[in-house]
Amino acid sequence: MSVVLGLSGEYHDAAAALVVDGKIVVAIQEERLSRIKNDPSLPIDAARACLKFANIAAGDVDRVVFYENPVAKLERVLTSTLRVFPRALAQWPRAVGAQLGSKVWVVDRIAEQLGVARSKVTWTEHHKAHAAAAFYCSPYPSAAVLTVDGVGEETSTALWHGTDAALAALGSIDFPHSLGLLYAALTAYLGFEVNEGEYKVMGLAAYGQPCMRESFAEIVQLHGDGTFELALPYFAHHADTELGFGPALERLLGPRRAPHRPWDLTSDDDGRYADIAATLQQVTEEALLALARAARRTTGERALCLAGGVALNAVANARIAREAGFERVHVHPAAGDAGGALGAAILGALELGDPRPAPLRSAALGLPIDTAAAADLARELGLTIRTSANVADETAELVAGGKIVAFCQGRFEWGPRALGQRSILADPADPESRERLNRAIKRREPFRPFAPAVLREHASTYFDGAPDDMTPFMTTVCPVRDGHDLPAVRHVDGSARVQTVDDASAPELAGVLRALAARTGRPIALNTSFNGAGEPIIASEIDALGFLISHPIDALVIGDLVVTR
Amino acid sequence: MRRALVRVVTPLVWRVPGHGARKLMGFARAEQGSRIDLLHAAQRTPSLARRALYLRHAVDETRHAGMFWRRANELRPGFSPPVADTERLFERLGETRFLAFVHRGEQRGRQQFELYAKHFAARGDSRTEALFQAILVDEERHERYTRELLVELAGSEAAARTELRRVALWQAWRMWRRAGRTLANGLFVLAMTALYLVCGPIAAIGSRLRRPKQLAKRWKELPEADERVPERGARLGEEAGLP
Repeated sequence: MSVVLGLSGEYHDAAAALVVDGKIVVAIQEERLSRIKNDPSLPIDAARACLKFANIAAGDVDRVVFYENPVAKLERVLTSTLRVFPRALAQWPRAVGAQLGSKVWVVDRIAEQLGVARSKVTWTEHHKAHAAAAFYCSPYPSAAVLTVDGVGEETSTALWHGTDAALAALGSIDFPHSLGLLYAALTAYLGFEVNEGEYKVMGLAAYGQPCMRESFAEIVQLHGDGTFELALPYFAHHADTELGFGPALERLLGPRRAPHRPWDLTSDDDGRYADIAATLQQVTEEALLALARAARRTTGERALCLAGGVALNAVANARIAREAGFERVHVHPAAGDAGGALGAAILGALELGDPRPAPLRSAALGLPIDTAAAADLARELGLTIRTSANVADETAELVAGGKIVAFCQGRFEWGPRALGQRSILADPADPESRERLNRAIKRREPFRPFAPAVLREHASTYFDGAPDDMTPFMTTVCPVRDGHDLPAVRHVDGSARVQTVDDASAPELAGVLRALAARTGRPIALNTSFNGAGEPIIASEIDALGFLISHPIDALVIGDLVVTR
Repeated sequence: MRRALVRVVTPLVWRVPGHGARKLMGFARAEQGSRIDLLHAAQRTPSLARRALYLRHAVDETRHAGMFWRRANELRPGFSPPVADTERLFERLGETRFLAFVHRGEQRGRQQFELYAKHFAARGDSRTEALFQAILVDEERHERYTRELLVELAGSEAAARTELRRVALWQAWRMWRRAGRTLANGLFVLAMTALYLVCGPIAAIGSRLRRPKQLAKRWKELPEADERVPERGARLGEEAGLP
């Protein structure tokens, strides 16, 4: 029986997770506390918050596991920059400085800053941490496991076989050949922020045609055994972490798009960029499909677990579920680097003899809100508050009346999706709500879709293929069935990034959906993340009230309080 | 002294092509950093009243950061939204000195923005003038309330002045250390560049000779595509556990 803390950080998506006696107790991304989006620092605040939540002193921790081997990473950075001599001349001092200045000493810094004995702090491998998060949190006793991201120590893609409490490494593809870095390079080319704009590329893809396959065949070659190869002259990630793509890519695809220029998808120019996004999405899907088929062939398993940043591509996940030959597919809710913290903690716990954790039914692994503190602060801010006798009914009444409601209940979510604990809810049948949300509240590109949350037992009525093992965590898309008028959540290609809700995953949201069904006949709400543009999702009642006073939402429902301006 | 310097330098600074937009982005980042510090303060202060004040201030800083960013993009498109880090000032300085720090920043900002607003009014750039005028209203309010809170927390006007002097000294020390870091960083870059130029060719030749270009692209350890693993659960690689 043990207390194990897992940590990820020093690149992006820093996070901490705590596993006690084989049970996942709490998991927190640093950005939720620091309020810095994709916070890359060491997640010391998140780690302390995990321990405080579980009422455990730092001295009682049996092991702290970092999600990456810092020495192997240093070696990869040194060898990859030397191998491309002299292209990495500008990159070299910065890369070496970052590695030798702090990153390679991460284990010592963790011990010092957390107040844990150095001998208790260790590390695992990046992709193994991803694989552990994906497999051990899944409901499958055995499964094929694919981890696909930018790069770990030197691996970009890995195939594993998970059986009970064991993970066997079957094969890997090394940096600089990486689907994550391919997607990142094109994300930058299309004028979006890397590690942030990948969702936007996925949304944009539906507006274009995949008509540039010939050009993409020069950029990336897909092989029959599931492997792939990037044509490195088009890229710069092996020589320059800032840029990602080289001038050759612009010669091939045309000039890059200027960041933050308003989008006009009726123009030829932006139409071409949409076509590039569509082609990239198709190529990525086919590469992932080939990997998944290789995983099926190699393991003979009927279930697949996916993790790594590329596994957040919900459209590709849907194709894998349909076409790769697996009966079931699970994607970890924090499939990106944050999830590695939980995987590292689970691996540490298993090594100390704890059992495999129970399957993850809910992503609400963060810190709770304090309703009394929210009431006090709301009064101090001069806001109008009242206690509701029936929060579900009152929220449903507001949503059905066309209002936009911020919904803040219980412990916040693990991963990048708002799943009913820190969500903004609206009427999925009201296109005006979508417009208002996009323009006035979220201030995001008009082509980005919103997601529906639907009661699990009614999901198949509205969405083809739902529910499955991915829909509770909103990591797949499903076509909206004909005859249902859901313009605010139906993407231009007819799909929706569905979240299926039940009492185990998000009880308060399930209550709202039931109350909505009683009013509108539809147990569905538009569900988008409760955050401002460029900000992390809300964590505390302070953040929630700050959002209310700075954004034109109609109400904030926090615990049993209804707060308005 | 500082004000006089800003007055002299302002017309020159804003005339350099592209520099105005970069300067506005600098302000956007500063406002964003201030927002994060104030949110941390709101999370940590024991006083409900101060929590509300810090939160409202943080909301203002978010708005200012957005305004500066949008104007910078109008002048020169292509800037990403402002990203800032935190120095954990509330934890490092304690609440009283943190307030002294914020007050000094607001005061400096207000003085600077007054000069800039006048400068743009004189140049006939009403949009940028309006931007500074709009933000000045908030800066004056922030300067006032932080002063009041500082006196309240310090215990007297004299104690507040002492805190302001101490934080000024701390800022001077911080600037000195930053200058040292910048210098050290420059030397490090030079040394590393030299090292790369010396070691790079040898290492690159060695690595190309040792490691064929094709190696990294294919599955390592994976059986051929048509060679299916016969048994479910067969363990071909390492077992779970820590290295």
